[in-house]
Amino acid sequence: MTVFLASVGFGLVTASVLAIAAVGFTLQFAVTDVLNLAYGAVMIAGAFLAYVLNSHGVNIWIGLVVAVAACAAGSVLLNACVYAPFQRRGAAPITMVIVSLGMTLIIEFGVQAAAGGTSVSYRMSQGPSVTADGFTLTAVQFVVIGLSLLVMAGTYTLLRYTRLGKAMRATAANRMLARNCGIRTGRVITATWAISGGLCGLAGVVFAMDAGSFDATSTDLFLVLILAATFLGGPGQAYGAMLGAVIIGLATEVSAAYITPSYKYVIAFVALLVMLGVRPTGLLGKAAG
Amino acid sequence: MNSYYLINLLIYAAVDAMACLGLSQQFGVAGVTNFGFIIFQAAGGYTAAILALPADSANGAFQSYLGGWNLPFPIPWIGAAVVGGLIALPFTFLVGRRLRGDFAAVGLLVTAVLLNLLATNYRPLLNGDAGLSLIPQPLAGEYNPQSAGYQWALTAVAVAACAAVYLLVRRITESPYGRSLRAMRDNDTVADSLGKNLLSLRTTMLVVGGAIAGLSGGILISYITTWSPAAWGYAETVVLFAAVIIGGAGNHRGAILGAILVPVGFEEVTRYIPTSNSLPPNLIPSLQWVAIGLLIVSFLWVRPQGILPERKRVIRAEPLRPAATPAPAAPDSTGQAEAATASAVPRPAAPPPGEAVSPAGTLGSVSTAAAAVGGVRSADVPGTGQQAPGDREVVLQAVDVVREFGGVRAVAGVSLSVRRGTLTGLIGPNGAGKSTLLAMLAGTLPVSAGQIRYQGKDVTGLPAYRRARLGLIRTFQLASEFKKLTVMENLLSAVPRNCGDSLRGALAGPRYWRGDEEAAAARAAALLERFGLEAHASSYAGDLSGGQRRMVEIMRALMAEPLVLLLDEPMAGVHPALARKIGGELVALAAGGLTVLMVEHELAIMDEFCDPVVAMAEGAVLAQGTMSELRRRSDVVEAYLVG
Amino acid sequence: MSGEHTGRGVPLRATGVTAGYGGDPVIRNVTVRAEPGEIVSLVGANGSGKSTLLKSLVGVVRVTAGTVVVGEADVTRKAPEEVARAGVGYVPQVDDVFAPLTVRENLEMGGYLLPSRQVRDRIDEVATVFPRLAAMLSRAAGKLSGGERKMLAMGRVLMLQPAVFLLDEPTANLAPAIARTLLEDNVRRLAASGASVLIVEQRARAVLAISDRTYVLAGGEVRMEGTPAELAASPAFIESFLGGTVSR
Repeated sequence: MTVFLASVGFGLVTASVLAIAAVGFTLQFAVTDVLNLAYGAVMIAGAFLAYVLNSHGVNIWIGLVVAVAACAAGSVLLNACVYAPFQRRGAAPITMVIVSLGMTLIIEFGVQAAAGGTSVSYRMSQGPSVTADGFTLTAVQFVVIGLSLLVMAGTYTLLRYTRLGKAMRATAANRMLARNCGIRTGRVITATWAISGGLCGLAGVVFAMDAGSFDATSTDLFLVLILAATFLGGPGQAYGAMLGAVIIGLATEVSAAYITPSYKYVIAFVALLVMLGVRPTGLLGKAAG
Repeated sequence: MNSYYLINLLIYAAVDAMACLGLSQQFGVAGVTNFGFIIFQAAGGYTAAILALPADSANGAFQSYLGGWNLPFPIPWIGAAVVGGLIALPFTFLVGRRLRGDFAAVGLLVTAVLLNLLATNYRPLLNGDAGLSLIPQPLAGEYNPQSAGYQWALTAVAVAACAAVYLLVRRITESPYGRSLRAMRDNDTVADSLGKNLLSLRTTMLVVGGAIAGLSGGILISYITTWSPAAWGYAETVVLFAAVIIGGAGNHRGAILGAILVPVGFEEVTRYIPTSNSLPPNLIPSLQWVAIGLLIVSFLWVRPQGILPERKRVIRAEPLRPAATPAPAAPDSTGQAEAATASAVPRPAAPPPGEAVSPAGTLGSVSTAAAAVGGVRSADVPGTGQQAPGDREVVLQAVDVVREFGGVRAVAGVSLSVRRGTLTGLIGPNGAGKSTLLAMLAGTLPVSAGQIRYQGKDVTGLPAYRRARLGLIRTFQLASEFKKLTVMENLLSAVPRNCGDSLRGALAGPRYWRGDEEAAAARAAALLERFGLEAHASSYAGDLSGGQRRMVEIMRALMAEPLVLLLDEPMAGVHPALARKIGGELVALAAGGLTVLMVEHELAIMDEFCDPVVAMAEGAVLAQGTMSELRRRSDVVEAYLVG
Repeated sequence: MSGEHTGRGVPLRATGVTAGYGGDPVIRNVTVRAEPGEIVSLVGANGSGKSTLLKSLVGVVRVTAGTVVVGEADVTRKAPEEVARAGVGYVPQVDDVFAPLTVRENLEMGGYLLPSRQVRDRIDEVATVFPRLAAMLSRAAGKLSGGERKMLAMGRVLMLQPAVFLLDEPTANLAPAIARTLLEDNVRRLAASGASVLIVEQRARAVLAISDRTYVLAGGEVRMEGTPAELAASPAFIESFLGGTVSR
């Protein structure tokens, strides 16, 4: 039981980081129809930006805020300068994937070139721990879980109750009709990339916090978890991404406790492949006609 | 420059070029985007390793692995190619199905990462992340692998293997089979409707590409004698894709060029960058990756076709001309009947090499001349023209066919019979269900209920490509030409019985299929002349005007030797005079036994050429008769004016 | 919708419009107009360019020649969202609702440009025009029947009380009885409120019954123009629908 609870604890933290990341990823896909595989690279760029500030004495939480802002701006630029022009030209989805892989190389190894190849960590205190029957979480981990809940609630509120959120959903559902309603979809798309980019930066920093030490390639495998969570819930479905994140996060950590830890990602991979083969629209998406 | 450096360069160049050729064949020619490509090279490398390694070996620590049968050269290499090909088979579930291109790519990428992870962590399999080393080199027992002579020999063999692979993929691509692959790449739905078995084509490409990649892996480990998961991460796949894109996807020389520029080029360039202690050790490799990323994105933007774009294939042919003296009808029809029964067998035995035989190349009377040009298989008895339309047998039938989706009945219980040798028109206002019905007859859309019967047999469950092979051919409403094939190639792609249109046929070489190809090209040239497009035979179909592309589509459908032709708005965008000409051709072909069902909005065409005409409205058949009869019926007029 | 907007409509004037999807133009040199309070219909056989004309008026299809003026504003070649902001409400033939959004949210999107305070009141007003929608405000639009979807599509456009209504085959796929109601009640009311209404239809007879003026399109050009009475009396009218001469 202790082992199980401990792994549930880890699972909650992983699920939290994953939820923040997956929601941002899926929003980008929903509104622009691009699987932005460079998402992991932007995450680690944000993590490193916070690290640079942190290593100069800035509190990590301030570094987090800066990373969020920087990744928001960077993501907007990524779409405006790279993805949107290719799409305007009528590039096929497969071309967009290859473009996003190219951007991954540029961003990830650009970070590595600037920051070096060694692993780094944040200078921060994990805070007091709470233990209950094997289930141990530090204060920072609680904060991460809390942030994730905040993000999920915030996303829900945004999409359900705000004018912008509904415009985002409308743009995702039928861009031309949204324009016929007078919605300036260009601005909606910019706002979507800014918000999801911010989430990407946030995810990057909390990922780094949770990982302890990290380097420029740390998010490579994590991207697969994001993809698994996204496709499990349904690409483009924000609530699906949250559901997928919880399932994948917990499944990964709980299984790691019972089978060799190095295989913990296998469950996520298999889930992803099964979803692609059986139900590409995901658990929450409409079944294909 | 010492010889060791040159040997190293050449072997890596040969191995990378082989891998790129395999990828170019899959991705550039056939449009199969296999982001797990590196797995095949890895599998080949591992296979060669475990076949060559002795039962146990140690490299400081004990290595654990499967196999270890210490087999002599060339078995490890053969094994590498075979396993590389076999590993491709499970991948077809991701690539064969109708999954969005980018989703499938992600699935394959993830698979590559997953397998790398498993290999890294499961030690008993392939020694985990330490990888395998001390792999015996070929013929290591007889020769000294360290000697310069051996190394040069190995290099020569590697380069020779690369050359052999180049010749192999070129032979595959520059054949009717290769043309079918490119057609599938350009528009898979249309290729399907012309009789191409997409699943089989894609599977074959995966296996062939996989075998090539596997062989390249086997050769590589014979040289470097080690192999570990670090050598084949997903980044390596990205490098290969970059190489193929930059060199020129679809051009095999471009693949070789890309291999030289990217994987090899980058390694060499960095050798010459002055090292300095002040620079961090990781900087140059990191910048290499950044540069590759920049190259990928800028090439896709500026020159997506690559440095060496796919060449245009120009096929010259003299149009087939009908003989001056008409032969008597009876023997001709018997001959046609024989040819037709032969055509009823799915894959007839190929004619002996060198003999130019084309079942549709009969010459003689006017109707058969039209048949020769249009390639009609007329399995009918002589005197079709004399039989009253109502007495001929029914070749195509819809029985209570329903199509429903999202709760809406696009077609609500339609029964329709089409008789041989007739030109039937299908009219109706928007939303009447005409195109939906046509799609169900052709098999490109499944029925929700009801039956489709073709030549007396129930074909409801038969997929489109198999109906096409039985002579049921359709055209499409929207632009569906193969854009990166020339007009002549578009026409040739539809020919159903070209013995070069299979992997075996392609591998047998041009001498084997030249006869069929030339006969088909002559037919195509005659058709082009008849429709006035002979000047555009070597233009890319995507460059023509709307009306011209429409004609290419009709001609292509005729090249498929249809028994029944389903045309979806063939006259849309076509000049009236030309529309009349096409109509006239169709009438001539119908007299020769071709059956046509045509959805059209230009009701004047119906007047002139079609009898009977079926009017549909709101998913059901309203009435049937000649156009003038229908015009007099108030319910038809109401349907058009009221909707 | 009770006549409170009399005089609010503005005329729509399209002059010499040529437009297409990139290759050859689909419509050539088309001139149509709709005055406030008028119902103007555009009829013609399939492929005559009716839908393309509407799309070019709202900016969905690129106009290569001619002008489109709404009231005082020249909206030629403007983006669709700007045309909407100029007071043009457009109901497309297909993809006319936001399927994953609820009925209420669809209407809210229709009222996107309104100050939030007004939106709820407008929804109530639109619900009185389409009482069936009022009962289904929380249902996802994708789950509505054909007729209900069309009502929602029109209701969405009503939210902004545009000065010009462009309707593309609003009765397509609707049962004849529902189609008749849609045209005779709802479309009439739009014009009664003072707006200019331009409606494309295949159901020529039904739409002629409510039109003030009609244009007949064929082969991408305006072939005939007149009041329904004039056109019904002309034998050429029926001919242009049922062929007789190859029309391109």
